Amino acid sequence: MAWEVILWVIFFILNISLIAANLYQIVCLTDLEADYMNPYDSSSRINAVVIPEMLIHGVFCGLFLVTGHWFMFILTLPITIYSAMLYSKRRHLIDVTEVFRSIDAEKKYRIVKLAFYLLLFVLIIIRLVIEVVNNLIDDDEEGVHLFGIF
Amino acid sequence: MGTENPNRVNTYPGPIPTPFAAPRSNMPISSSSSHPVVGSEASAFRPTSVPATLTTPFSSPGPTVGSGTPGFRPMQPGRPTPSYGPPTTGPTQRFPTPQFPSAAQPSMPPTSGVGQPIFPPTMRPPPPGHVPPMSTSLNRQPPPAPMGSPPQSLYSVSSRPNMQQPTPPTGPPSSLPGYIQSNTVTSPPPPPPPGSHQGGYTPQPTASSSFPSHQGVYTPQPTASSPFSSNQGGYTPQPATSSPFPSNHGGYTPQPATSSPFPSNQGGYTPQPTASSPFPSHQGGYAPQPTTAAPFSSHQGAYGQPPPGASQPGMYVGGSAPPTGAMAGGLVEDFSSLSLGSTPGSFDVGLDSKVLPRPLDGDVEPTAFAGMYPMNCDSRFLRLTTSAIPNSQSLVSRWQLPLGAVVCPLAEAPEGEEVPIVNFATTGIVRCRRCRTYVNPYVTFTDGGRKWRCNICALLNDVQNDYFAHLDATGKRVDLDQHPELTKGSVEFVAPAEYMVRPPMPPLYFFLIDVSISAVKSGMLEVMAQTIKSCLDKLPGSPRTQIGFITFDSTIHFYNMKATSLLFFFFQSSLTQPQMMVVSDLEDIFVPLPDDLLVNLSDSRPVVEAFLDSLPSMFQDNVNVESAFGPALKAAFMVMSQLGGKLLIFQSTLPSLGVGRLRLRGDDLRVYGTDKEHALRIPEDPFYKQMAADFTKFQVAVNIYAFSDKYTDIASLGTLAKYTGGQVYYYPSFHSAIHTEKLRHELARDLTRETAWEAVMRIRCGKGVRFTSYHGNFMLRSTDLLALPAVDCDKAYAMQFALEETLLTTQIVYFQVALLYTASCGERRIRVHTAAASVVADLGEMYRQADTGAIVSLLGRLAIEKSLTYKLEDARNAIQLRIVKALKEYRKLHAVQHRVGNRMIYPESLKYLSIYGLSLCKSTALRGGYADAQLDERCAAGFTMMALPVKKMLKLLYPSLLRVDEYLVKAPRVDGEFERICKRLPLVAESLDSRGIYIFDDGFRFVVWFGRMLSPDLARNLVDEDSSASDFSKSQVCLNERENELSRKLMGILKRLREGDASYYQLCHLVRQGEQPREGFFLLLNLVEDQVGGMNGYADWIIQIHRQVQQ
Repeated sequence: MAWEVILWVIFFILNISLIAANLYQIVCLTDLEADYMNPYDSSSRINAVVIPEMLIHGVFCGLFLVTGHWFMFILTLPITIYSAMLYSKRRHLIDVTEVFRSIDAEKKYRIVKLAFYLLLFVLIIIRLVIEVVNNLIDDDEEGVHLFGIF
Repeated sequence: MGTENPNRVNTYPGPIPTPFAAPRSNMPISSSSSHPVVGSEASAFRPTSVPATLTTPFSSPGPTVGSGTPGFRPMQPGRPTPSYGPPTTGPTQRFPTPQFPSAAQPSMPPTSGVGQPIFPPTMRPPPPGHVPPMSTSLNRQPPPAPMGSPPQSLYSVSSRPNMQQPTPPTGPPSSLPGYIQSNTVTSPPPPPPPGSHQGGYTPQPTASSSFPSHQGVYTPQPTASSPFSSNQGGYTPQPATSSPFPSNHGGYTPQPATSSPFPSNQGGYTPQPTASSPFPSHQGGYAPQPTTAAPFSSHQGAYGQPPPGASQPGMYVGGSAPPTGAMAGGLVEDFSSLSLGSTPGSFDVGLDSKVLPRPLDGDVEPTAFAGMYPMNCDSRFLRLTTSAIPNSQSLVSRWQLPLGAVVCPLAEAPEGEEVPIVNFATTGIVRCRRCRTYVNPYVTFTDGGRKWRCNICALLNDVQNDYFAHLDATGKRVDLDQHPELTKGSVEFVAPAEYMVRPPMPPLYFFLIDVSISAVKSGMLEVMAQTIKSCLDKLPGSPRTQIGFITFDSTIHFYNMKATSLLFFFFQSSLTQPQMMVVSDLEDIFVPLPDDLLVNLSDSRPVVEAFLDSLPSMFQDNVNVESAFGPALKAAFMVMSQLGGKLLIFQSTLPSLGVGRLRLRGDDLRVYGTDKEHALRIPEDPFYKQMAADFTKFQVAVNIYAFSDKYTDIASLGTLAKYTGGQVYYYPSFHSAIHTEKLRHELARDLTRETAWEAVMRIRCGKGVRFTSYHGNFMLRSTDLLALPAVDCDKAYAMQFALEETLLTTQIVYFQVALLYTASCGERRIRVHTAAASVVADLGEMYRQADTGAIVSLLGRLAIEKSLTYKLEDARNAIQLRIVKALKEYRKLHAVQHRVGNRMIYPESLKYLSIYGLSLCKSTALRGGYADAQLDERCAAGFTMMALPVKKMLKLLYPSLLRVDEYLVKAPRVDGEFERICKRLPLVAESLDSRGIYIFDDGFRFVVWFGRMLSPDLARNLVDEDSSASDFSKSQVCLNERENELSRKLMGILKRLREGDASYYQLCHLVRQGEQPREGFFLLLNLVEDQVGGMNGYADWIIQIHRQVQQ
């Protein structure tokens, strides 16, 4: 059953990276708003992580599907679809020229995403712990069993 | 009365004799008359005309007038009566009243109000005889004690500008200082010009206590009080005097039968004679605006509904009735109205298109604002959509129109009003420590001049030693006259090195020129080269000016213009001819000789000239049809990114090679009306937005000149101009035979007008208010900082603000626009415009002080922006909805107190909102759908409108239509004759008489329309035989001066109209009546009041709005 633990560790890492990416974008936007950063830097930094984030999320979602974690898959599906829609409409990147007009909406969107990932984070931690414990218990039981032989 | 009059007399004593003398007559009169309500206005106006009779009456009425006064707003000539009536009650008693008939009383107020207008210039100069009587009468009146008490305050005199500095009270027995002063002052100084009074209106604080609410507005007149009431009475009785009053209503013609008119008016207006207290509360603080009055009178004929049985129906219309004051608490109508339908319920019948308000006087700027805060910057720099700032969020939400400002930081100032330049060489620029506000006329110095309080954030700042000056007794600095920054709303500071991130750049002009076959064929290349060459001497910033060129077709051509220095001159073959380098690798652009492509104009002048001379011939055989625009743009960017500057792009072929390739789009009819429609109006390729952002970052402004006769995707190209503070010039189907003059003029203006380089602009405002959005051609560098690589006088920016707090506690909100820029001479400067606006708690006041021009400008920009994300129809509906909501809110405000019935009511200040809204919907940028405007033209119009200053915007929306044949044939060539004969006509087809010649002028082009029945002689004199015989299409715009008087006159008219607005060249199109489709395209489509192509006509639009308002 060790692969299940490894899988959840992978989910955990992916989730952490998604959270980090979102946090980074939010920080950039906040800096922009507070005039600590100019729009050129800010949007180029954000735009640099948008595509990777989408890819990671795609992998994340796909892994749930492939490994048969239906519930988690369905949970992550909306964002996948939304991202795909943004991409197909070419609206996934921040527009430097109009960044101040859309800044509130962009921030809100990222904060919602962040909240969602944090929720997933909790779920994943729980599942991870459960898996680890199960694994240990299994080992223990085996151990006990082995030991019991004696 | 008698008693009171005497009082008056007293007051006047000193001044009277002299003043009254003919010249002064107004003054005295005014004082006497004005005291009462009318106060300020009246005083100013009343010229001697009224004198004798007036004097007595007025004086007595004084008090009453006061009440009426509020009503006086200049605008309401007609309606005043009602309001006034009431006041009389109180005062009347005093007055002997014999003079007035009972009816008269009510009328009285109007008279007073009216009186002001009445004093038409003509009136003023009363015959000497007249005057004397006046004075005498005044004199006669004994200076009774009563005077002092009530009316005095009202002194109107003060209102006048001239008056403002009252001399110490001379004679007045009682303490009516203000009053007296006025008298004295008035009399001695020459009589104020008629026009002046209007201006004079500004409220005067001096107003006595008696009429608290009004006071601000009217200058109190000490003597007036009692007299006032009497005045009213007086008026009626004395026909001579009275006459002036009536005339006001009518529009200044004096009417002999004064007494009668009043009563009649009253009937018309709901005024109530009974009004107890004359002074309506609202007036408070509100100074009547003389200026408005004038326009008003003119309109009157047009709008008003005729008062029932009123003697002067026409006038009434617009009229908002002055507040009756005490009366029923607002019986007076404070709005304008339009009666729709003779009988309730049948709208369609009764709307007489003749009475619709039309902005035939062009832009009418609100003057109350300037009057209240004389130290504000001029309205050409900053206009607020309403100069009464709401004090609460709830008020904001009820004010349905945009709340914001339109700023034109570098507007051209007329001779003598240039913005003063201040150099704080030693002290550094004085600014608030906390909010960074620049020192301005509204800061207050305290602590003996050692501290100053910031007017925006109220922080107490220390005054630096170098800037210190003692305060005089009134708390003003003694050296005020040496500091324009403390007396003028607009100043320019010379910025020290702290305000530079790099040394000020030299003016730099870079040209990116399309030399593909269409550019050559159309003749664009030649005209452009000639124009640039002719402007070389006039480029600003000599001798630092830099210049450079790139041309492109399917390859990119660079030109080395470096003139070799003298040393090498003889050794090398000196460069007197430019060296051309061709780069054909479009994928990976590189710039050969990066240092020699941009040269100093004065050093390389011969090379540049040689280049421009040879440019047309160099490519005259070019047959290349491709355009590597994107790569060329990148190359230009690489060359310019060191310095920034202005990039002028001449483009006539759709970009087809390399990055930034564009494709034909917009010819798909099916897209219109769907959700994808807006995509046609935004750049297709993100490359353009990215380039625009990069250009802005490196201080490059891009101006696009597009010439193609086919689709060139202005939507994409214009983006470059939009985000770099540039401008789009579009010459569809350019042909040198036709458009030469236009291109030459506009390019020359672009090159030679005063330009501010590498600028940033910020607008600050008081606590509790925050600017939330900005609209125009620029890019935001931070939340409130506009990056403007190049700014000039033809660019305006709009912004909206919101309240941050639910309730504003301050009384005044200050706005400060600061533009930091590099002048062409290489000096870094900060231009600062400061304005104050009062905070109000009353929605009615907000509407009263609304500025239609600014509102329309902002609405237009919002609608155009909306059209970039939604359908055109949505954008149009949004405009309509805004107007409907605003009028609905306004109706709610008044429907309860007034029986507005079936009338459409609107604030006087917004009477043109509907027509401008309609023309916005019909403007090129927003009209119709696929077939109504070419996509490119639509986009170009959109970009242009986003940058237009208010006045030009209004001109574009409601162009002028002038009939000129009469002038051509009959009038002598005298100054003023043209204005007298050629009046602007309503934009309806009925205005066009088939026997006439008309000029249609929207600021961008002229259309000269020849009627079908025009006398052949006339036509032959003006136009070539053959073309006048058949059609004009061949000689579309070739209206050349010919050897005869008529033609010279016509050309003179056109020249004169062009001089009025130099920012664009108005190309002249000749159209003959019935010549389709040109007539429709050039003229009929632009008659905004007519029903054209599925859009409503004006009357229908009004009815539609009215219905929605009532729902």
